[in-house]
Amino acid sequence: MQEMQLEHAINTIRVRFGSQALTRAAELPPPQPWPSHTPLDRLTGIEGLPRGRLVLLTGSGTCGKLTLALGLLAAATREFAHAVVIDTREGFDPWALLPFDPDLGSLTVVRLDPDSSGEAATALARAGAGFILLMGEIPEQWLGPMEAGANRSGSVMVGVVDVPGRAFAHASSLSLGFSRTEWVWERDQLVGLRTIARCLKNRVAPPLGETELEIRYPLGPQLPFASPVIEVPIEKVDFECASAAV
Amino acid sequence: MRICCGLTGHLELAKRPDLYGGAVIVGEWESHVIAASEEALPFGVLPGMPLRQAEHLCPQATFIAPDPIAASRLRELISIALYDLAPVVEVRVEGIAWLDVSGVVKPGESIREARRRLRAAIGREPRLGLAPGPFSARVAAARARPGRLVQVEDARTFLAPLAARELPLDEEQRERLDLLGLRTLGAVAAIGPRELESQLGREGRRAVLLARGTEPDELTPWRPPQFTSAHRQFEPPVEDREALLFVSRALCGDLADELGLRGAGAKRVRVRLVYESDEPDARDSTVRHPLSSAAELFGLIGGWVKEWQPRAPITELWIELPVLEAAGRRQLRLWAGNDGTSEEVIAAFERLQERHGDDVVRKPRPALLSSPLPSQRFDWVS
Repeated sequence: MQEMQLEHAINTIRVRFGSQALTRAAELPPPQPWPSHTPLDRLTGIEGLPRGRLVLLTGSGTCGKLTLALGLLAAATREFAHAVVIDTREGFDPWALLPFDPDLGSLTVVRLDPDSSGEAATALARAGAGFILLMGEIPEQWLGPMEAGANRSGSVMVGVVDVPGRAFAHASSLSLGFSRTEWVWERDQLVGLRTIARCLKNRVAPPLGETELEIRYPLGPQLPFASPVIEVPIEKVDFECASAAV
Repeated sequence: MRICCGLTGHLELAKRPDLYGGAVIVGEWESHVIAASEEALPFGVLPGMPLRQAEHLCPQATFIAPDPIAASRLRELISIALYDLAPVVEVRVEGIAWLDVSGVVKPGESIREARRRLRAAIGREPRLGLAPGPFSARVAAARARPGRLVQVEDARTFLAPLAARELPLDEEQRERLDLLGLRTLGAVAAIGPRELESQLGREGRRAVLLARGTEPDELTPWRPPQFTSAHRQFEPPVEDREALLFVSRALCGDLADELGLRGAGAKRVRVRLVYESDEPDARDSTVRHPLSSAAELFGLIGGWVKEWQPRAPITELWIELPVLEAAGRRQLRLWAGNDGTSEEVIAAFERLQERHGDDVVRKPRPALLSSPLPSQRFDWVS
């Protein structure tokens, strides 16, 4: 009886507001993943970063999120025809990307003030750029068109921010928080850090908790730097959903 | 070479389909007959004869004045209709449509579709001929019943018994052929081209080659006009930006379909808004790479419409593409993701540069990577 009433209510909503107004979760097609070949793939739950969605890497300064994003960007330049950096802070230096062996022919840097960055991100997501790295927040009014454009074209969008605003956090489908646990020193030289990567929000799969990563800084192209991100076994793995944190 | 020829009758006759079935003669008074319907031919009326003589021969015919502009427009319409059926299409105002179907994968389907489209354009069944060249195809089509195809394998054998009057010569040259005893195409083909050239000039040589089925003439391919546009009228006038965006997206789709049919891209784009009570507004831009898909066109035009501040209610929206170019496509990078949308991404970069300056979008090129100065490590290319 209760099921029939529920079905009736669903049908009423669909008749009044359209068939797409209410969709069963099971009917939603899962987003196609882009395998980044980093430990993040396991955290997302779909074995890769979701295409057509916004992924946020958040955390206070020197927690390793930008190094990780550069690693993703370098992989994207090798795999996509267009990998774009939308640099609102004018702080992006491709030199930092070199240790990750990028294909610079596919890399384009768009430098705009934060107010215009939304227009650029939306236009490029609509056009179908393979990978878009956002180095700052996008104005709220552009988030909807950007999401829709990326969803249609399947662009992979990654945002790197310290603390996302409410709208930006809400627009993301996957949010990973980083917090540094310790520095890594070798021969009295700082070579990297250990960080806890925690899945704060996941709209594409059940949240899979957290993991500990060892991130090595790129110390120059002459040094062997095959794998800048190493996953470290974590003693305590928390599988509790932390969506409420955002 | 395989040429299909469709004969529809002179296009001057097609503008009055209500007169089909009766004798119709097209021509200016005090001048010559331009076209005559099949029903007028048995009375001895021929194109080129004085109109007074035609009236004397067939007084019951309907006489109409020529309208060369309308006939030329109809020729364009037929050319557009047939353009995608064969690599080379030529349509003449005399009611001849040639399609070079050599190399076409399914020529039978092209010919069937050509028949259907000619019938839709003219309002009556065309006669069709398929032969190794334009001349033999036209002669074959003239011997077909309406809606049927006459197929010729060996042009010389087919042409040999036909009268020499089939050759495209003037009346004086035909009389000379007759005096020479060359009354069939086979007889014309038997003599040497130089011999007839000495009698009739260059036309004589050409006549021999035509009679032999060697087809010295090539088709003149019809090329699409280098301009296209689409527009929509609003009744009542609109002020709503969303409505404008919706309509411009639809118009971009229509234009992209047309460009795709022509294999062309827009090098220049112009948008005009016509107001109810004010001078029209226009905006145009020349793009670096020709735009051909709906997404590319709407990416540019949609951006304009979004920021436009209409001064009054809008009665008409025009999207014009005044300069078209061949939409040359590049080889796709086979293993690169999203490379199929590369043109659209580049167009998006160009729009951003147009709005915010060239320095907004840049690509790093390695220069002095070992330099301690960050500014020397890369060259930035706009």
